Amino acid sequence: MANDEMSKMQELFDNLRADKYPLEEYNSVGKRGVHRLDGHEKASGAAKYTIDVQLPGMLYARFFTSPYPHAEIKSMDTSKAEALPGVRAILRYDDPELPPEADLGGHEPSSEPVLPRVAHFQGQEVGAIVAADSEEIAEQALKLIDIEWEERPFVLDPEAALEPGAPLADPESHPEGNLYGQLTAVEEHGDVEKGFAEADKIIEFKLRQGLNTWIGPERPCGVFRWNGEYPEVWVKQQRPHICKRVIASWFGGIPMNRIQIHCLYQGASFGGWSQVEWNMGGHYCAAVLAKRTGRPVKWIFNRREDFYGGEMDEGVYYFKVGAKLDGTITAVKGRAVFPNQQWPVFGFVRHFHENTGVPNIYGKTEAVKINKGPTVPVRCEQNSNCHSLTLVFNHVADALGLNPVEVALKNDGADGHDMTWLNSRKAEMGFLLRDSLKECIEKGKAAIGWDKKWHAPGTKRLANGKMHGLGFTWTHEWDDSAGSSEMAIRIERNDGTATILGCRADVGVNAETAYCQVAADELGMRLEDVHYRPQIDAGFFAMTPDSSTNMSVNGFAIRNAARLLKQKILEAATSPRAATQLGSAPPAFPGKKPEELDIKESVIYEKANPSNRKTLTEFVGYAGAMGPIGSLRGEPMPSGEKGVRFPFTWPLFAHAWQLQVGAYSGARLRLCRQAHFMEVEVDTETGEVDVVRVVTVNDVGRVINWEGCEGQQYGGAYMGVGRGRSEEVVYDPATGVMLNGNLLNYKVPTMLDVGRIDTILVESGMGYGPYGVVGIGEDVATVIPALIGPAVHNAIGKWVDDFPITPDKVLKALGRA
Amino acid sequence: MSPPDEKVPISEEEINLVVNGDLYEVRVKSNWTLQYVLHNELGLTGTKELCNEGACGACAVILDGRPVLSCMTLAIECDGKTIETIEGIARANHPLIEAYVKYSAMQCGYCTPGFVVTAKALLDRNPKPTEEEVGEALVGNLCRCGTYPRHTIAVLEAASNLPRR
Repeated sequence: MANDEMSKMQELFDNLRADKYPLEEYNSVGKRGVHRLDGHEKASGAAKYTIDVQLPGMLYARFFTSPYPHAEIKSMDTSKAEALPGVRAILRYDDPELPPEADLGGHEPSSEPVLPRVAHFQGQEVGAIVAADSEEIAEQALKLIDIEWEERPFVLDPEAALEPGAPLADPESHPEGNLYGQLTAVEEHGDVEKGFAEADKIIEFKLRQGLNTWIGPERPCGVFRWNGEYPEVWVKQQRPHICKRVIASWFGGIPMNRIQIHCLYQGASFGGWSQVEWNMGGHYCAAVLAKRTGRPVKWIFNRREDFYGGEMDEGVYYFKVGAKLDGTITAVKGRAVFPNQQWPVFGFVRHFHENTGVPNIYGKTEAVKINKGPTVPVRCEQNSNCHSLTLVFNHVADALGLNPVEVALKNDGADGHDMTWLNSRKAEMGFLLRDSLKECIEKGKAAIGWDKKWHAPGTKRLANGKMHGLGFTWTHEWDDSAGSSEMAIRIERNDGTATILGCRADVGVNAETAYCQVAADELGMRLEDVHYRPQIDAGFFAMTPDSSTNMSVNGFAIRNAARLLKQKILEAATSPRAATQLGSAPPAFPGKKPEELDIKESVIYEKANPSNRKTLTEFVGYAGAMGPIGSLRGEPMPSGEKGVRFPFTWPLFAHAWQLQVGAYSGARLRLCRQAHFMEVEVDTETGEVDVVRVVTVNDVGRVINWEGCEGQQYGGAYMGVGRGRSEEVVYDPATGVMLNGNLLNYKVPTMLDVGRIDTILVESGMGYGPYGVVGIGEDVATVIPALIGPAVHNAIGKWVDDFPITPDKVLKALGRA
Repeated sequence: MSPPDEKVPISEEEINLVVNGDLYEVRVKSNWTLQYVLHNELGLTGTKELCNEGACGACAVILDGRPVLSCMTLAIECDGKTIETIEGIARANHPLIEAYVKYSAMQCGYCTPGFVVTAKALLDRNPKPTEEEVGEALVGNLCRCGTYPRHTIAVLEAASNLPRR
């Protein structure tokens, strides 16, 4: 990269401040009604997912799964299964070619047994995998495997796991006890005892969050084929570049450039499956089976097997909060016990620090092992923080008899400071002084009719006999935005359209269309002239929607590439063309300098004389038999004695990147806020909670793609209501067996399970992303679940701090169960 | 737990299916579902398997004019029957497709074909549904991304764009 290009990109990297490079005019960015690039493909059933892949000679592989929550294999007899016609190979845990452990995916390099001998949860893939001509035969063969098991004692409850004498849940990796020290963390700020001493009121409560999970519409699966010695792999994964790195570490090492990855559309698993540290185990086994049989192998889970594992907010939380009578919170102290988190814990009182002026905060997270599947960030790792913020604020408001909206506004701030302090930081960083929370609250209150409908808890019975409740919560927007991205754009020969090159890890957030909107506006092109070309290989690393960060990182990369490319186009338009051994032809815009030209509506024109113009199509010209940049047709030009020559422009391509650390590292303050409102009707006879209205207000800084943002709002509201009200993976305490691993008994919301959802977007420009954006994909589904708690409390006057809030818990709170 | 050693024969039969107007002669096992045959044997991969137990609607097809869940239908019972899948609906340029694109009524897209097929069956029998009727028709289709609000809008618009009969 030339030095001037490097410096031009680096000047765009300053995202510790307000964006210094907005456009004067936006045509595609923020426009309503932009058609999704994938819309027709998905609506017509043409979109292909990994589960749809069929290759000549392909075998199907299924895992044996443990019938016990904790047990080890003493011996295994696979002879009957091997004899079943159609079975082509069986890989066993004791196969000499299997390494003791391998890197099998997850966030960071991991080390896991490929085919474990010991099961630590019921349903775990253990012991054997069968490859057969069909899924059905593989399934039959699994039933013919005889295993002698040694059952071990197990523990399912996170607090019971901490008791003295509790069974060890995973003595292989945690022989010292179920509390695993390396993930036990303390968040501390100020002095909570001092804060309690200053308080007028002390509020204490306990919160329990049950286990919910992602429910990927497409089951976990993958296909592995060896083309000679080179792997070709189809992955249902949200970070295909991690898959490539992982595969490269197998079998003594495979050079990255020999591995071909295909990442098709994905029946989303909302980050969940992609973060499980064993998620490449199927591929490892498929690779071995494919090598032995000489055939491609598709490994596949069944529906039930997709239920093991879940969101990392499962656990028990204890809070002690101090507040003054006016609603000022002086201290928040918490202790939480979380089971089976596979990630470093993110804490559960972090939002008080990032998002409020509460000066004294202490939170201790205890991570324990139990005999259930792994928990990972599903939609987001900040669910626990959102539950904490929602319930602490609403408990405080209730205890003091205050309106929760006022309590929120009173405590808004950052790092223990109030809004005056935060406003001066905003000013230093070049942002406008918008009061994001206040704007969100005002819009949300107006939409739901808050001032008219708000009432004291348990006081409003409706004509239909049900109790009416209103709930409110808030937090910051997700501008964590850590990550890196590479993208490129090239101008096509012949017609001058632009092709963006980048990786695909589509989970439906419509990111690819949004990249085109940014590129179109930056290049001065019509949106229909820009297209996203996903690379079948993970050569272009990018922050995929899974990795918590999409537009706020990738938006910079695509914008940087577009700006570099536009400069190249204008330079090419003012430089001699057809530079060959025969000399050169005059520029397309003779005698002009790049800065005298501009591009609009896909037309290059002279700013001082707009009639001097050439469309990009005319400019790039026809590419013919002389190769991609030469032609014997087109615009002929005399060239003296040497005959006729033909003009062409040089290849137009730009590659750019972005790297940023984001707010996780404490590098930036969070400025944008979101506020959510919910109206419920509670049947005090049955305990059922009808969510009749949700108003979701997000300050996204700036909207790039309206339909995409709104989709995350109403979609997140549905998922959030499901999580908060009906979704829980239930285990039998006597046997440790999962009881509801299916979509009949695990209750995902249907269309009619949530009432009207209003989606409101605020554009304060206070994001650190390009044009001032922040993210939205993760947050609504993450904030909404706990909001059901205060809404139900407002209806019945009793707290149900036990999620999901199922009818039996409501009846219990009412003293009727 | 284990089945007996001796092979239990599963009968096979040749059946005729008229799928999207095309005749297929398929040899099927008696335990194969219609979803499996459409998706794996005929390569009509728009008919998706999601819950595999009749709880989600992703595998919906129109069988002799009625919407059915193809994961709960044995292929062998469909001999001589007429089936319409998402591919046929798209090939016929049904206004639902354009309306779904226009209103962005999809996210990950895995369940989308099942919604379109179910909505097509609704519009076949009720070309002017109310909002409530659309909701009742689509309540059996699950969408984990929560795209629901857009389906109602898209289906109502498609209804208004149906060609006159």
